[in-house]
Amino acid sequence: MSKAPITAASRGLSSCHLCLKLLSSELHHCPRCGARAHLRKPDSLQRTLALLVTASILYIPANILPIMITDQLDNSIESTILGGVVLLIELGSLPIAAVIFIASMMIPLSKLLVLFYLCWSVHRGLPSTVRQRTLVYRAAEFIGKWSMIDVFVVAILVALIHLSDLLVIRPGAATIAFAAVVIVSMLAAESFDPRIMWDQMEDDDA
Amino acid sequence: MDTITADKSNQTSDCLACPSCDLVFDISVLQDGEVARCTRCRHFLTIYRADELNHVLAFTSAALIFLVMACSFPFMAFKSSGLESVMTLPETALKLWGYDMPGLAFLVAAFIIVIPAFILILILALTGALKLERHNKWLQPTGRLIFLLQSWSMVEVFFIGVLVSLVKIAKMATVVMGVSFWAYAVFSVLFILATSALDRAQCWRRIEALNKS
Repeated sequence: MSKAPITAASRGLSSCHLCLKLLSSELHHCPRCGARAHLRKPDSLQRTLALLVTASILYIPANILPIMITDQLDNSIESTILGGVVLLIELGSLPIAAVIFIASMMIPLSKLLVLFYLCWSVHRGLPSTVRQRTLVYRAAEFIGKWSMIDVFVVAILVALIHLSDLLVIRPGAATIAFAAVVIVSMLAAESFDPRIMWDQMEDDDA
Repeated sequence: MDTITADKSNQTSDCLACPSCDLVFDISVLQDGEVARCTRCRHFLTIYRADELNHVLAFTSAALIFLVMACSFPFMAFKSSGLESVMTLPETALKLWGYDMPGLAFLVAAFIIVIPAFILILILALTGALKLERHNKWLQPTGRLIFLLQSWSMVEVFFIGVLVSLVKIAKMATVVMGVSFWAYAVFSVLFILATSALDRAQCWRRIEALNKS
């Protein structure tokens, strides 16, 4: 690039995160929508990292504790997320096993790893691959809420299946931990600011 | 489109910065139906539609009607060994409450019913006021709440969850879909159409214009 790109920051303007208005970077509140205004999301790296660590810790009980308890006649079976996937494979329902495995194992885990990587790349000040990293960030932001599928599946099965003593499905403690993982990692994605990566690239070019 | 504007003659009120990479664009030059994307990182910026409010009003009112329907009839029934159990949509949350998980019950209810309903009512009030060009001091907080809440609605996620549960138990027993199931399916589509028809930047430009007039 021959000349410096015209960013809002380079013109002394900040962009309102809520209504996208351009305003003088000295203002504390957006005059159009009233939201708090910042040039960049405040303490982006620290907040994202703190939330990521929280989500990673919650991920342990989410996988160890039972997510669902099936009471069939006199015996009751507790199943974890991974246990449910293994059971589905043994029963021969590969496609559903794949959906559950992707939504409840791969998405939350890869989202955490991606955000950890992005934080590390900003910390190291990697100048290249900004465009790809922005895409990866937006993908992580987009898929975040899809991990709630498993929690909803449990909620639906619990509400639907209650045949007196014959067959009853109860929610396990992991549902709470898992819902918390999803919410905390959504907040982590929201507190990360991709513009910092572009700032670093422009500083490098200058 | 290619609208990087360097010269200072442009009013900042006609411009916006890409939320991903901060590059500035003039969006006042958009014609009806034109989409603006960031030229540097390809992020979607805004779409200008002259009849945006009509679309939003139509989708929003239809979505609200289907949501009310989805809450008032049986959602699914489960039959096995001569026994039958039926669930309604609010029961997905209420049953969790019964198992001593009030927090989770609250979250599920919020994500699939309460927040979407609240967003729709707020959109209806906002677009109604914009359409009738009625000044109101509530326009600003209403608009702010709509866009704050949007990332916390999980209507489409829940519907995929319903499909997954269906497939999961289809082998165990007979599952019958009720009126609410179909109503919620239509509602999910209408809800996505309503919220995506309301463009963030254009909506706030309309609010600003109305407040200045």
